[in-house]
Amino acid sequence: MVFETRALSLLERSLDAAALRQKVIANNIANVDTPNYKRSDVRFEELLRQELDGKRKSIVGYRTDPRHIPIGRRPGGTVSLPQVVTDNSTTFNHNGNNVDIEYEMALLAQNQLRYNLLIDRTNGYFKNLRTAIDRR
Amino acid sequence: MWDSFRISASALTAQRLRMDVIASNIANAETTRAQYADGRWVPYQRKMVVMEPSPAKPSFSAILDQAVHNSVGQGVRVTRIVHDTEPFKRVYNPTHPDADQDGYVLMPNVDLLKEQVDLLGATRSYEANVTALNAAKSMFIKALEIGK
Repeated sequence: MVFETRALSLLERSLDAAALRQKVIANNIANVDTPNYKRSDVRFEELLRQELDGKRKSIVGYRTDPRHIPIGRRPGGTVSLPQVVTDNSTTFNHNGNNVDIEYEMALLAQNQLRYNLLIDRTNGYFKNLRTAIDRR
Repeated sequence: MWDSFRISASALTAQRLRMDVIASNIANAETTRAQYADGRWVPYQRKMVVMEPSPAKPSFSAILDQAVHNSVGQGVRVTRIVHDTEPFKRVYNPTHPDADQDGYVLMPNVDLLKEQVDLLGATRSYEANVTALNAAKSMFIKALEIGK
């Protein structure tokens, strides 16, 4: 089926990951003054790379019913889910907080650009599809 | 995506409250009669806000997310406003109506320099959260362009 190509599902998962990362960064920035708060980050790109290289060995839940909750992988696709990880190892501030505001702002800008890029690629994908349909 | 807006908004509210408390501290830096206790006036006590991360909503999906290691906090909240227990400053001023027998007046434990630095910090944090909010907004608008 033309609409279920790997390219679109890759874009979709990447967009999901970017949206999740935006949420995580917003939460880090919101808690920049909160004592003992530890920052979180989203792991996705490296998991994706491992997946595409075929190096990733993860436990994949066996589903006998489409309504089962997928473990390890999304239904229909083989792309990894993004993971939220908390960085407990560092202490940046005297109050136990480890949010580095400059780093977070840089990540925010980077994530926004990545998101825009992904949207552009998604639009490009649909444009190609439309060209094929219109035969123009 | 909506969560992102809510997270930034919670931080804006918290930082704004912090600024309000700082404004109250600065305004009352010379207030010797904040409350009347045991037959004498007690000066204004410096106030501080206590912040903590807002926990994820206690819904089924939030708990499931946590189990599947994808939980994201819901921003920040102010849990309470506490009084600074630093001792009051003793200033020699015998003509002051609140002076004791030795001519000393108890003044609030507000340090203006400290308040200014706190205010600067709160302003910067507020701005950072506005930036995060604008980022979420532009991403959302961009997402509406898909397939157009």
